[in-house]
Amino acid sequence: MGAVLTTTELTQFFGGLKAVINFNLELPEGALWGIIGPNGAGKTTVFNLVTGVYIPTKGSIYFKGEEITKLKPHEVISRGVARTFQNIRLFGNLTVLDNVRIGFHLKYKARYFDVFLRNSFYDREEKRIKGESIQLLETLGLVHRAGELAKNLPYGEQRRLEIARALATKPRVLLLDEPAAGMNPREIDALMELLLNIKREFGLTLLVIEHQMRFVMKICEWIKVMDFGVTIAEGTPSDIQNNAKVIEAYLGKGRVEL
Amino acid sequence: MKRDLKLILAGLAVYLVVFGLKTIGFLGDFPMLVINLSLVYMILTSSLNLINGFTGQFSIGHMGFAGIGAYISGILTTLIWKLSIDTPMHTRVPLFLVALTLGGIAAALAGFLISIPSFRLRGDYLAITTLGFGEMIRVIINNIDYVGGPRGLLGIPRISDFTIIFLITFLTILILRNIIYSSYGRALLSIREDYIASALVGVDTTKYKMFAFTVGAFFAGIGGGLLCHLIKIAHPTQFGFMGSILLLVFLYVGGMGSLTGSILAAFVLTVLERYALPVLFSSMSSFTLPRWGFEVGQEWRMVLYSFLLIIIILFRPEGLFGGKEAKILIPEEDR
Repeated sequence: MGAVLTTTELTQFFGGLKAVINFNLELPEGALWGIIGPNGAGKTTVFNLVTGVYIPTKGSIYFKGEEITKLKPHEVISRGVARTFQNIRLFGNLTVLDNVRIGFHLKYKARYFDVFLRNSFYDREEKRIKGESIQLLETLGLVHRAGELAKNLPYGEQRRLEIARALATKPRVLLLDEPAAGMNPREIDALMELLLNIKREFGLTLLVIEHQMRFVMKICEWIKVMDFGVTIAEGTPSDIQNNAKVIEAYLGKGRVEL
Repeated sequence: MKRDLKLILAGLAVYLVVFGLKTIGFLGDFPMLVINLSLVYMILTSSLNLINGFTGQFSIGHMGFAGIGAYISGILTTLIWKLSIDTPMHTRVPLFLVALTLGGIAAALAGFLISIPSFRLRGDYLAITTLGFGEMIRVIINNIDYVGGPRGLLGIPRISDFTIIFLITFLTILILRNIIYSSYGRALLSIREDYIASALVGVDTTKYKMFAFTVGAFFAGIGGGLLCHLIKIAHPTQFGFMGSILLLVFLYVGGMGSLTGSILAAFVLTVLERYALPVLFSSMSSFTLPRWGFEVGQEWRMVLYSFLLIIIILFRPEGLFGGKEAKILIPEEDR
């Protein structure tokens, strides 16, 4: 199994701030990996670099062996990377169905003149996209909300809608930025189940940023820990739990008296 | 096309009623001029809506595009082909349509150019750029003697009759509607809602901003061409800042992101302006305020518009129909 997403010495400076320093990743196909770390560790910046929101100061990013370092966001997405956001970024004034349909935009084949004239090809394309969107909403249990405005959905459903919208772009790799934020333990369990389901159903590779240890320790196969832009540790959940550097980063250094 | 039968029939009904009333003499020259003007304003306002209301860009130089369309088509029909109202119908109308299209294309090119700064500029910065663009058009026209400079391009034949204007307005609205309810339209809306999220679900935001500006400017150019062949003159002041502001007032009153709003606002405000205001002010038209010594007259109209705008922004910031659409304009499968 080769790596589907690779970064080598990925580095990002914002002026004097070193947000990410030499971040190396070799994400195997079909894996479920996690990135953890205290606030401001540079986790989201890694996602922003991978999806083309920022161009890295140094280093490169490869997707399926192809360099994507300097591509624009929509070009990265079109190759098969999708993501969700830490602070939900839905198209609030559009309906749930439209949010998902926009995700299918990349696979829309009708050209300008088909659209101006609404010919039969346009019809087929719209029908196909609508059908696939409804199917996706069914998978995520949102189909009963299809006609509602996205901003009127409760928080947990908004998170699911973001995942649905990301899935609509037909990704190979899905980057999830704190999907469990603000959820209670029961919701987290449901989310884990959902993620494992869609991972299987869509043949996805997942990379998850998360603070909820309950979540990370339970479903991530491999964890990378970041602090102040540096990767301070990586390993299996049990390795990480016992890693002195990680404990220090989270809890601070102190004398341990026995 | 078959699915839009209701919309087409409704359009045909409106056309036949107005045409019938005109034929039996119920609607004279002046009411017909007002109706035609309102139709042209519908084109201008809805095309601005595509850029401002649906794509969420802030363009305040829209009349500049109309000016390009007006002058290009006016030059072709008046100065080059020397058409007049006596030219036989079968040469006059096709040539006019060619001139209109070329005017539209020229405006679309300008729209394409002005969209380039929009890739980097947002909000008020983009507004200033488009404002500067509109003024540039006005000043350039002012200085070209060939088109009459500040006197305006005179002697344009009145080729825009009700039938032509109505047909083009109808087609414009139909095409804009088709765009808005397609995947392209949803891409435009997503840019308005959140341009970062939009790019990160695969929308090429650069391309679609360009698309909105080009299409919007094209129809504005067509509208400008119709306008100058209706009022028989193209004048630089028409296409300056105040003209663009007028369109913005129509847009905001009608509602951002609503074609229905643009259509109704353009109609109602144009009729009000031509009928209600003269009546309202006839009693006090041009009396002099003794203390300050300035005359009060038709200039009040801009005061009224500004007042209207303030009221709308205060009490209904999304405009009368903001985000809503008349059922007949929504394609059946999206209702």
